[in-house]
Amino acid sequence: MEKSKLWIVLSLFITCLISAFALSQVYTTTLPKIEYQRNVAAIKIAFGAVMPGADRFEPTTPDSSVWFAYSGDIRIGTIIRAAEQGYAGLVPVTAGIDTTGKIIAIRVAGSAEGLKETPGLGLKATEPNFGNQFIGRTAQEIRLKNEGGAIEAITGATITSRAVTDGLRKAMEKYQPFLKPETESGVN
Amino acid sequence: MNNHPSRLSYLTSGIIKENPILILMIGLCPTLATTVTARDGLGMGVAASFVLICSNVVISAIRRLVPDSVRIPIFIIVISTFVTIIDYVMQAYQPDLYRVLGVFVPLIVVNCIILGRAEAFAYHHGIIDSFLDGLGKSIGFGSVLFVMGALRELFGNGTILNYPLLPTAYRTSPMLFAIFPPGAFFLIGLLKALVNKLGWGR
Repeated sequence: MEKSKLWIVLSLFITCLISAFALSQVYTTTLPKIEYQRNVAAIKIAFGAVMPGADRFEPTTPDSSVWFAYSGDIRIGTIIRAAEQGYAGLVPVTAGIDTTGKIIAIRVAGSAEGLKETPGLGLKATEPNFGNQFIGRTAQEIRLKNEGGAIEAITGATITSRAVTDGLRKAMEKYQPFLKPETESGVN
Repeated sequence: MNNHPSRLSYLTSGIIKENPILILMIGLCPTLATTVTARDGLGMGVAASFVLICSNVVISAIRRLVPDSVRIPIFIIVISTFVTIIDYVMQAYQPDLYRVLGVFVPLIVVNCIILGRAEAFAYHHGIIDSFLDGLGKSIGFGSVLFVMGALRELFGNGTILNYPLLPTAYRTSPMLFAIFPPGAFFLIGLLKALVNKLGWGR
């Protein structure tokens, strides 16, 4: 057995080196999978909140912006995910839209999911007071009041309010063809 | 070499005669905390077994190179490497289980069974013997976790592995006590009493 003082230091160093290398390999292999699982968890929470009654969601566009929601075999609506630049970073919005093109509910991702808007101002976009204004609206109505729409901006957080309304409206207009029930999931 | 214990006894001793939980009474923290359901107990058992077997084998393989004075730090590095691997793998492929086991996965590092076997067995024995020892202790540890989880789930929820076993009348108002923390202490006391009565470990 090697007993020199140098070997005491060296053996620890080599052990750490091998360990670090092995872990970096495992980390890079599992990272995409872990990210995916986190997304799935977040999606489940958000989708359930904006589309109550659906038991199955299917991604319809390759970038996962549009999801069809099913209850059994009947398509009961569409989920649209949008993200527009806010005051500090992107503001991700998830909206459940029924088959007539009206919004069922929206959900703005909270700070736990990475929203960086200012607490007390922009962060109020995640509260029901703001989000409930969208219920029953169509794409054309989703503008701030001073721009001719139906949505009252959050006081002191016009930029965040506009990020939510513009992001959602643009996404709804872009994915208009998907909102009608006769569009089947064959359109990929 | 004839008076050495046989290889088979390395494997079997951990299951009954030196059962880590019921006889040696080590590794009790995860035993009490992660056995709310049979599936959680089993998941914890599998995770700890992976770490125990791998660390036993690796430590046995490098035992002649490790200087005595720094052996404990080296054991801990080896063990925590395997714990981190199982932590990542579980997050990636068993996210529901990971959410339930939570902090107890990283805490496998300080599970005294694993460091105990490294120090007491793997550091002085060959690779195959260390593997058998790790496997035996894993079976002993994992099966107790599974039995604890199954019994607590049965009494506290009326199911085992989510399969309903007790009548609906029981399942609507089960003995919730069993899945609360005191239930774990209560049950392990009963199991230990049973083991003493049977005379295991003597």
